[in-house]
Amino acid sequence: MTMRESIEPDMTPLGPLGSEGPEGPEREFTIKARTQGQMVRRRFIRHRGAAIGFTALVIVIILAYTSIGFWKIPGWWYLGYTKTNPIVNGGAPTLDVLPAFIDGDGFMIGPHPFGQDQIGRDYFALTMRGTQISLMVAFVIGILSTFIGAVAGAISGYYGGQADNVIMRFTDLLLTIPILTIAAVVGNATGNLGPFFLAVVLSLLIWTSLARLVRGEFLSLREKEYVEAARAMGASSPRIIFRHMLPNAIGTIIVSATLTIAVAILLEAALSFLGFGIRSPDTSLGLLISTYQTAFSTRPWLFWWPGLFIVIIALSVNFIGDGLRDAFDPKQNRVRA
Amino acid sequence: MGSYILRRILASLLILLAASFLMFALVTLSGDPLAEFTGSNAPDKARLIQERIETLNLDRPFLVQYFLWLGGAIGCLIPGMSCDLGVNLSNQPVTSLIVDAFPTTLQLVLAATILAIVLGISIGIISAIRQYTAFDYSITFLAFLFYSLPIFWVAVLLKEFGAIRINDWLAEPAVTLPTAIVIAGFSALFFSAVVGGSRKQRLLVGLGAAVGAVLIFVGLVASGWFSNPGMGPGVVTIGAAAAAVGATLLFTNLENRRVLFIALGTAAAGVITAYAALPLLEDPSWLTLFGLGALVTAIGVGLGWIFGDIDRPAAIRAAVLTSFGVGLLVFMDRTVSSFAAYSAEVNGRPVATIGSKTPNFNGTFWEVTLDTATHLVLPTLAIMLISFAGYSRYSRASMLEVLNADYVRTARAKGLTERTVVLRHAFRNAMIPLATLAAIDFGAVISGAIITETVFGWKGMGVLFTSAVQRDDAYQIMGVFMVTAIAVLLFNLIADISYAILDPRIRLS
Amino acid sequence: MSEEILSVNDLSVVFPTEDGMVEAVRGVSYSLSERDVLAIVGESGSGKSVAAMALMGLLPKYAQITGDVRYRGEDVLAMSPKRSRALRGQNIAMIFQDPMTAMNPVYTVGDQLAEAYRSHHRVERKVALARAVEMLDRVGIPQAKDRARSYPHEFSGGMRQRAMIAMAIINSPDIIIADEPTTALDVTVQAQILETLIEVKDSVNAAVILITHDLGVVAGMAHRVLVMYAGRGVERADVEDIYRRPRMPYTAGLLGSIPALDSAGGKLHPITGAPPSLINLPPGCPFSTRCPLVTDRCLTEEPELAATDLPHHQVACHNWEKVAETPDPTLLFRTKAVDA
Ligand SMILES: Nc1ncnc2c1ncn2[C@@H]1O[C@H](COP(=O)(O)OP(=O)(O)OP(=O)(O)O)[C@@H](O)[C@H]1O
Ligand code: SF4
Ligand SMILES: [Mg+2]
Repeated sequence: MTMRESIEPDMTPLGPLGSEGPEGPEREFTIKARTQGQMVRRRFIRHRGAAIGFTALVIVIILAYTSIGFWKIPGWWYLGYTKTNPIVNGGAPTLDVLPAFIDGDGFMIGPHPFGQDQIGRDYFALTMRGTQISLMVAFVIGILSTFIGAVAGAISGYYGGQADNVIMRFTDLLLTIPILTIAAVVGNATGNLGPFFLAVVLSLLIWTSLARLVRGEFLSLREKEYVEAARAMGASSPRIIFRHMLPNAIGTIIVSATLTIAVAILLEAALSFLGFGIRSPDTSLGLLISTYQTAFSTRPWLFWWPGLFIVIIALSVNFIGDGLRDAFDPKQNRVRA
Repeated sequence: MGSYILRRILASLLILLAASFLMFALVTLSGDPLAEFTGSNAPDKARLIQERIETLNLDRPFLVQYFLWLGGAIGCLIPGMSCDLGVNLSNQPVTSLIVDAFPTTLQLVLAATILAIVLGISIGIISAIRQYTAFDYSITFLAFLFYSLPIFWVAVLLKEFGAIRINDWLAEPAVTLPTAIVIAGFSALFFSAVVGGSRKQRLLVGLGAAVGAVLIFVGLVASGWFSNPGMGPGVVTIGAAAAAVGATLLFTNLENRRVLFIALGTAAAGVITAYAALPLLEDPSWLTLFGLGALVTAIGVGLGWIFGDIDRPAAIRAAVLTSFGVGLLVFMDRTVSSFAAYSAEVNGRPVATIGSKTPNFNGTFWEVTLDTATHLVLPTLAIMLISFAGYSRYSRASMLEVLNADYVRTARAKGLTERTVVLRHAFRNAMIPLATLAAIDFGAVISGAIITETVFGWKGMGVLFTSAVQRDDAYQIMGVFMVTAIAVLLFNLIADISYAILDPRIRLS
Repeated sequence: MSEEILSVNDLSVVFPTEDGMVEAVRGVSYSLSERDVLAIVGESGSGKSVAAMALMGLLPKYAQITGDVRYRGEDVLAMSPKRSRALRGQNIAMIFQDPMTAMNPVYTVGDQLAEAYRSHHRVERKVALARAVEMLDRVGIPQAKDRARSYPHEFSGGMRQRAMIAMAIINSPDIIIADEPTTALDVTVQAQILETLIEVKDSVNAAVILITHDLGVVAGMAHRVLVMYAGRGVERADVEDIYRRPRMPYTAGLLGSIPALDSAGGKLHPITGAPPSLINLPPGCPFSTRCPLVTDRCLTEEPELAATDLPHHQVACHNWEKVAETPDPTLLFRTKAVDA
């Protein structure tokens, strides 16, 4: 289980009529033949929330990684996130998005669009740095835990028996312990090893829900004729798993990976907020909120910006996940008992 | 059924054992309880270190440490045996720390869970029935938003806007444009969703609701209601009548005069009882309240029994529900009337931001209730949001699926009313998969409680846990772990049992 | 001749969907007299269920229904929701295809039957339950009193369908619509269920609309037959005529697909191909893509249901005369090149 289990079921597309007519299977008759890939793409693009979310996420990623640069590549923003600068405008944001006819001075970015902290660091640069780390952690968790979960679920579902037993009992175990508590202990012990290591460790904790889903799919796929046929023709087990079964579970896996990223971004933020995640001198969106929460009454923007970015990222990713789910199986009811 | 439960309990105990071992290994191997001495130059450093090694058995092999801990911990699960979870780094027994902290957290977790379930499920179901309406879209978006909110961020925001600003506002109530807009928007959305119907009809209702709500709000502010709020007999009576009508609608229809009159009679009995017993309600005990409640319920049941005729079951149910509604109204009325007194006692800052109660607070029953409520409301809200999102999305999807089921079509084909189809046939089946969700969600609520407690300064399990992790305090961490693990397993068990009760296919197999 | 209780005139149903307008039913007409049995026959997807549900008011709200449906002279499509609800279950009852899912899994069979009775009669639960037991007994469920306390999952498929029949007759309706009541069942129980249906129909004096895609089951039961194709009635006749003197190539094809009727050495002559998509139907006869008798006119002009050489026999085919001339029309589908 993850801190926020991906129980996001069905969100029908925002079109006039969804695909929930009472005669589910019979509708197939009326649908023109299209390839699976085309249909998935078409439905994804038509999902308004997903399209907006996707655009927003791409903008945030580009903004975060090009503005202050990363690794050795310099960015286009003129200030670094560690440098202290003279306080301008009392430290308040200089960004002004209101056009001239409302407040008279028109659109303006200014020297410190997101403001400055007490010691004069540029808060735009800091927020971008936090976004970079948070995104990196979330994506590493999303990819790695999906990999672990898919492999464990595939083994469990394909081989059954003893392997299945061990893996499923282990997931039972992890489900008993609220993820935040175990993550806090592990994060506290390993936090000084850096964000990447933290991401790897957290991945080891949140793969279980996907493993169960993949296992379920494999259990039913195992009974399908073409899998039996492949087996009868002497195909090797890895070949059956990778050629015949995984492609059929790909929808589940991709959707779950997406939702895991949303979960991960919030988990990292919560851990860093409690002091068990990212440590300074590294920074992350959660750590920024934690650092500046007491400044709310004096410098509220220090609190608003990182929170806003967390919400934008998580919301975008959740909508993308929803769009993908709709795209992969528009009809199937998504209530999993 | 009995053997099913027994099997589940045994399996849970085994999981608990395995989890305890895993966590013990993790906790003892990942932290160094002697770390805080490395930089210290206390004169008796060597003795302190030696003492700690002895109390924590650090010189013994890991397995021995585990079994020593387990030996004490097992006592906690067996009645009559002493419960010993070891001591923390300050030599306090973990058991007593937990005994102190547990009720605080339980209060928070239970309040959040129950509210999330009730609100989430009702709104999810309305959303499903009103699929593709503005209400449905708004709820869908809100659910996604709540899912994406970092809970600590929400908690800090709630503290600022839900407490500090509200307190400021209550000190000097005034109508501002933003408040008016928010109130108008919410009432418009809510009432147009409840009424439904054609687009024009919804628009009119929404408009009316918005104007009405703002007018009421302005009136209340102008009359100084917010500094001395109350409901008064008029509002209570109208509310009671509404409860009777609502209960009748739920169990039959308004054309069923017999049931309607029985429910109205119960409502009247409730209001009369409350005002006749007003002296008793000055500073009552829970016992008095339950006694009065039971009296009204008994009157309602009696009315239903005697006059119910062939609708006896429906009439009794409506009467019982009505008496609950009236009881709640009277309770709210009494609580709200002591608001002014309470507010004065806490220096005019009624919505609390810290702790689970005002220290050393003494007052009447109603003031203590208010005190608890004002402390509970914000943290509960923060924890609730995510769970609410889950329940509303899940029950919406579940309901949509069930509404398309063949047996719902059969129910319609029988000529049942839409109310019966939805409540009796669809709703009951839609609840079955939700039992699983409740179990999964509980872990998330506990995580939420840990974070929220730190923001709102509650001295509960969350703070116990975070402070222990900061100090690498193994036994204190283990104590919190075991309690949460037991809570989660217990909740799973309850979910499994309710699953079996809801679904005869499982119950009878 | 007995009184007409139901007349359906030019009934059409359109579903707006993401992919376009689905014209599920396109101008279906028929009438039903007291105690009559009308069979509606057609392939899967031909609009049989939709047409039936339209008159029960069971289609989703977004379905666009037009036409004129009269139950004892009363306009069914224009009824108030309240009157429409009273009609359902009380005057017109329906039995569905899949007995496994048609009953609510969480209530006992007896409760579900009693509920159907109580929604149209103000009686105590006990009375309704007794009535439910009586009905279960009448449809041949042994130990009905005990079985009424069982849940649907404790019944076999055949027993559930019997229970559904019991539910349908509990209010002594005038019309029972049975939508493929035996399709989901074992062959061995199919005949028993149909027999039960006919028996109880007589006991309550109801007329039956029997929906099926199997012309084989129609023979011994129905008086009239309506053949549907792509949302249209394409042939309407007495049951004898349908079997012995079909006038529509499609009907002939259906007859050729029935194993039992094919005496010529067990060889079947099924119709090849699939029905057209109901979205953006091409002009002309919808059957033209599969018809052995297709002519140029068929591709441009859609035939209307019109009289033939036989009384009470209508057909929607430009070339019905050619079918009439063919000695054994089922052989039309043997080869593709019979076209004259
Ligand atoms: N709610 C709906 N929305 C869109 N299309 C629908 C809907 N209900 C039915 N249809 C379409 O209407 C057509 C007719 O369906 P119908 O269920 O009446 O067929 P049928 O003749 O009963 O077939 P079967 O023998 O399989 O039951 C089908 O193509 C189906 O896809
Ligand atoms: S109208 Fe033409 S295509 Fe259609 S059934 Fe008759 S002959 Fe065949
Ligand atoms: Mg059908």
